[in-house]
Amino acid sequence: MDPADIEFRNATYRRFVELGRAPTATEIAKATGASADQVSAAWRRLHDAHALVLDERGAILMANPFSAVPTAFRVEAGGRSWFANCAWDAFGIGAALHIDCRIESTCPDCGEPISIEVRDGIPNDTDLLFHVLVPAVSWWQDIGFT
Amino acid sequence: MLLFRSEDHLDRWLASRAKGSSIPVTKLAELALAWWGDRLDPSWQPHTREQNHAILDRLGLTGPFWNLG
Repeated sequence: MDPADIEFRNATYRRFVELGRAPTATEIAKATGASADQVSAAWRRLHDAHALVLDERGAILMANPFSAVPTAFRVEAGGRSWFANCAWDAFGIGAALHIDCRIESTCPDCGEPISIEVRDGIPNDTDLLFHVLVPAVSWWQDIGFT
Repeated sequence: MLLFRSEDHLDRWLASRAKGSSIPVTKLAELALAWWGDRLDPSWQPHTREQNHAILDRLGLTGPFWNLG
Protein backbone atom coordinates (compact mmCIF):
# COMPACT_ATOMS: atom_id res chain seq x y z
CA MET A 1 0.00 0.00 0.00
CA ASP A 2 1.36 3.41 -1.01
CA PRO A 3 2.60 5.41 2.02
CA ALA A 4 0.83 8.51 0.68
CA ASP A 5 -2.45 6.60 0.58
CA ILE A 6 -1.87 5.47 4.17
CA GLU A 7 -1.47 9.13 5.14
CA PHE A 8 -4.85 9.93 3.54
CA ARG A 9 -6.30 6.90 5.30
CA ASN A 10 -4.91 7.97 8.68
CA ALA A 11 -6.21 11.52 8.22
CA THR A 12 -9.64 10.09 7.35
CA TYR A 13 -9.70 7.96 10.50
CA ARG A 14 -8.54 10.86 12.69
CA ARG A 15 -11.32 13.12 11.42
CA PHE A 16 -13.90 10.32 11.72
CA VAL A 17 -13.01 9.97 15.41
CA GLU A 18 -13.06 13.73 15.98
CA LEU A 19 -16.29 14.42 14.12
CA GLY A 20 -18.29 11.35 15.17
CA ARG A 21 -19.21 10.94 11.50
CA ALA A 22 -17.48 10.23 8.22
CA PRO A 23 -15.48 13.17 6.86
CA THR A 24 -16.01 14.39 3.31
CA ALA A 25 -13.26 14.41 0.70
CA THR A 26 -13.23 18.21 0.96
CA GLU A 27 -12.61 18.03 4.72
CA ILE A 28 -9.70 15.61 4.25
CA ALA A 29 -8.34 17.78 1.44
CA LYS A 30 -8.36 20.74 3.81
CA ALA A 31 -6.69 18.71 6.57
CA THR A 32 -3.93 17.36 4.32
CA GLY A 33 -3.34 20.19 1.84
CA ALA A 34 -4.32 17.95 -1.08
CA SER A 35 -7.15 18.46 -3.55
CA ALA A 36 -10.52 16.76 -3.09
CA ASP A 37 -9.85 14.85 -6.32
CA GLN A 38 -6.59 13.52 -4.90
CA VAL A 39 -8.40 12.42 -1.74
CA SER A 40 -11.15 10.73 -3.74
CA ALA A 41 -8.61 8.89 -5.88
CA ALA A 42 -6.73 7.71 -2.77
CA TRP A 43 -9.99 6.60 -1.17
CA ARG A 44 -10.76 4.53 -4.29
CA ARG A 45 -7.41 2.76 -4.06
CA LEU A 46 -7.94 2.19 -0.33
CA HIS A 47 -11.41 0.82 -1.06
CA ASP A 48 -9.95 -1.61 -3.62
CA ALA A 49 -7.40 -2.70 -0.97
CA HIS A 50 -10.20 -3.23 1.61
CA ALA A 51 -8.70 -0.51 3.84
CA LEU A 52 -12.05 1.32 3.87
CA VAL A 53 -15.39 1.04 2.08
CA LEU A 54 -16.96 3.64 -0.23
CA ASP A 55 -20.59 3.97 -1.23
CA GLU A 56 -21.75 4.21 -4.84
CA ARG A 57 -21.10 7.99 -4.82
CA GLY A 58 -17.49 7.57 -3.66
CA ALA A 59 -18.20 8.80 -0.11
CA ILE A 60 -16.99 6.93 2.98
CA LEU A 61 -19.45 4.20 3.99
CA MET A 62 -17.20 2.31 6.42
CA ALA A 63 -13.85 3.10 7.95
CA ASN A 64 -13.93 -0.15 9.87
CA PRO A 65 -14.80 -0.43 12.69
CA PHE A 66 -16.64 2.90 12.24
CA SER A 67 -19.82 3.17 10.17
CA ALA A 68 -20.82 6.32 8.29
CA VAL A 69 -24.50 5.40 8.49
CA PRO A 70 -26.70 4.58 11.50
CA THR A 71 -26.67 0.91 12.47
CA ALA A 72 -27.95 -1.30 15.29
CA PHE A 73 -24.62 -0.81 17.11
CA ARG A 74 -23.96 2.51 18.82
CA VAL A 75 -20.80 3.03 20.83
CA GLU A 76 -20.22 5.78 23.39
CA ALA A 77 -16.74 6.51 24.70
CA GLY A 78 -14.95 9.52 26.08
CA GLY A 79 -18.02 11.73 25.76
CA ARG A 80 -18.47 10.99 22.04
CA SER A 81 -20.35 8.37 20.05
CA TRP A 82 -20.12 6.52 16.77
CA PHE A 83 -21.98 3.81 14.90
CA ALA A 84 -20.22 0.48 14.32
CA ASN A 85 -20.77 -1.80 11.33
CA CYS A 86 -21.49 -4.91 13.40
CA ALA A 87 -21.00 -6.41 16.87
CA TRP A 88 -17.34 -7.18 16.18
CA ASP A 89 -16.76 -3.59 15.09
CA ALA A 90 -18.69 -2.28 18.11
CA PHE A 91 -16.07 -3.84 20.36
CA GLY A 92 -13.45 -2.69 17.85
CA ILE A 93 -14.17 0.99 18.45
CA GLY A 94 -13.23 0.84 22.12
CA ALA A 95 -10.27 -1.38 21.20
CA ALA A 96 -9.03 1.06 18.56
CA LEU A 97 -9.46 4.06 20.86
CA HIS A 98 -7.99 2.17 23.83
CA ILE A 99 -10.65 3.49 26.15
CA ASP A 100 -13.63 2.10 28.04
CA CYS A 101 -16.93 2.30 26.20
CA ARG A 102 -20.62 1.48 26.29
CA ILE A 103 -22.23 -0.47 23.45
CA GLU A 104 -25.96 -0.14 22.80
CA SER A 105 -27.74 -2.63 20.57
CA THR A 106 -30.77 -4.92 20.52
CA CYS A 107 -31.15 -8.69 20.43
CA PRO A 108 -32.18 -9.58 16.84
CA ASP A 109 -34.47 -12.32 18.21
CA CYS A 110 -36.51 -10.58 20.90
CA GLY A 111 -35.77 -6.93 20.22
CA GLU A 112 -34.82 -6.29 23.84
CA PRO A 113 -32.12 -3.66 24.35
CA ILE A 114 -28.59 -4.83 24.96
CA SER A 115 -26.33 -2.45 26.85
CA ILE A 116 -22.75 -3.48 27.50
CA GLU A 117 -20.16 -1.67 29.54
CA VAL A 118 -16.63 -2.54 28.44
CA ARG A 119 -14.00 -1.78 31.09
CA ASP A 120 -10.35 -2.59 30.45
CA GLY A 121 -11.49 -4.63 27.46
CA ILE A 122 -13.86 -6.82 29.49
CA PRO A 123 -17.64 -6.72 28.90
CA ASN A 124 -19.85 -6.61 32.00
CA ASP A 125 -22.49 -8.96 30.52
CA THR A 126 -20.82 -12.29 29.83
CA ASP A 127 -23.98 -14.20 28.89
CA LEU A 128 -24.19 -12.63 25.44
CA LEU A 129 -23.37 -14.63 22.34
CA PHE A 130 -21.74 -13.37 19.13
CA HIS A 131 -22.81 -15.06 15.91
CA VAL A 132 -21.18 -14.88 12.48
CA LEU A 133 -23.44 -16.07 9.66
CA VAL A 134 -21.03 -15.78 6.71
CA PRO A 135 -17.84 -17.89 6.49
CA ALA A 136 -14.63 -15.86 6.65
CA VAL A 137 -13.60 -16.62 3.09
CA SER A 138 -16.75 -14.80 1.84
CA TRP A 139 -16.73 -11.73 4.12
CA TRP A 140 -15.57 -9.30 1.42
CA GLN A 141 -17.92 -10.63 -1.27
CA ASP A 142 -20.60 -8.43 0.30
CA ILE A 143 -19.09 -6.63 3.28
CA GLY A 144 -22.33 -4.76 3.94
CA PHE A 145 -24.23 -8.03 4.43
CA THR A 146 -21.38 -9.62 6.37
CA MET B 1 -22.22 -10.36 12.88
CA LEU B 2 -24.79 -9.95 15.60
CA LEU B 3 -25.13 -10.20 19.37
CA PHE B 4 -27.79 -12.38 20.99
CA ARG B 5 -28.95 -12.61 24.57
CA SER B 6 -28.31 -16.38 24.66
CA GLU B 7 -28.05 -19.56 22.60
CA ASP B 8 -31.85 -19.94 22.78
CA HIS B 9 -32.34 -16.50 21.25
CA LEU B 10 -29.84 -17.31 18.50
CA ASP B 11 -31.52 -20.63 17.68
CA ARG B 12 -34.95 -18.98 17.52
CA TRP B 13 -33.65 -16.24 15.24
CA LEU B 14 -31.90 -18.72 12.95
CA ALA B 15 -35.08 -20.81 12.52
CA SER B 16 -34.38 -22.76 9.33
CA ARG B 17 -31.20 -20.86 8.44
CA ALA B 18 -27.90 -22.68 8.72
CA LYS B 19 -25.93 -21.73 11.81
CA GLY B 20 -22.59 -20.04 11.19
CA SER B 21 -20.20 -19.80 14.12
CA SER B 22 -20.93 -18.43 17.58
CA ILE B 23 -18.52 -17.41 20.32
CA PRO B 24 -18.93 -15.96 23.83
CA VAL B 25 -18.89 -12.18 24.04
CA THR B 26 -15.77 -12.33 26.20
CA LYS B 27 -13.90 -13.96 23.32
CA LEU B 28 -15.35 -11.38 20.93
CA ALA B 29 -13.82 -8.66 23.09
CA GLU B 30 -10.42 -10.37 22.86
CA LEU B 31 -10.82 -10.78 19.11
CA ALA B 32 -11.75 -7.12 18.65
CA LEU B 33 -8.72 -5.94 20.62
CA ALA B 34 -6.35 -8.09 18.57
CA TRP B 35 -8.03 -7.24 15.24
CA TRP B 36 -8.72 -3.53 15.69
CA GLY B 37 -6.34 -2.44 18.44
CA ASP B 38 -3.81 -0.88 16.03
CA ARG B 39 -6.40 0.70 13.74
CA LEU B 40 -5.75 4.27 14.89
CA ASP B 41 -2.00 3.99 15.36
CA PRO B 42 -0.11 6.62 13.32
CA SER B 43 2.22 3.83 12.15
CA TRP B 44 -0.67 1.59 11.09
CA GLN B 45 0.02 -0.87 8.29
CA PRO B 46 -2.56 -3.24 6.82
CA HIS B 47 -2.59 -6.67 8.44
CA THR B 48 -1.39 -9.46 6.22
CA ARG B 49 -3.58 -12.50 5.80
CA GLU B 50 -1.01 -14.40 7.87
CA GLN B 51 -1.27 -11.87 10.71
CA ASN B 52 -5.06 -12.12 10.72
CA HIS B 53 -4.93 -15.90 10.64
CA ALA B 54 -2.52 -15.85 13.58
CA ILE B 55 -5.07 -13.80 15.57
CA LEU B 56 -7.86 -16.25 14.78
CA ASP B 57 -5.65 -19.27 15.52
CA ARG B 58 -4.55 -17.84 18.88
CA LEU B 59 -8.20 -17.51 19.90
CA GLY B 60 -9.06 -21.00 18.72
CA LEU B 61 -11.09 -19.74 15.76
CA THR B 62 -9.96 -22.40 13.35
CA GLY B 63 -11.45 -24.78 10.81
CA PRO B 64 -13.07 -24.15 7.43
CA PHE B 65 -15.52 -21.50 8.71
CA TRP B 66 -12.74 -19.19 9.95
CA ASN B 67 -10.42 -19.78 6.99
CA LEU B 68 -9.77 -16.40 5.35
CA GLY B 69 -8.90 -18.09 2.06
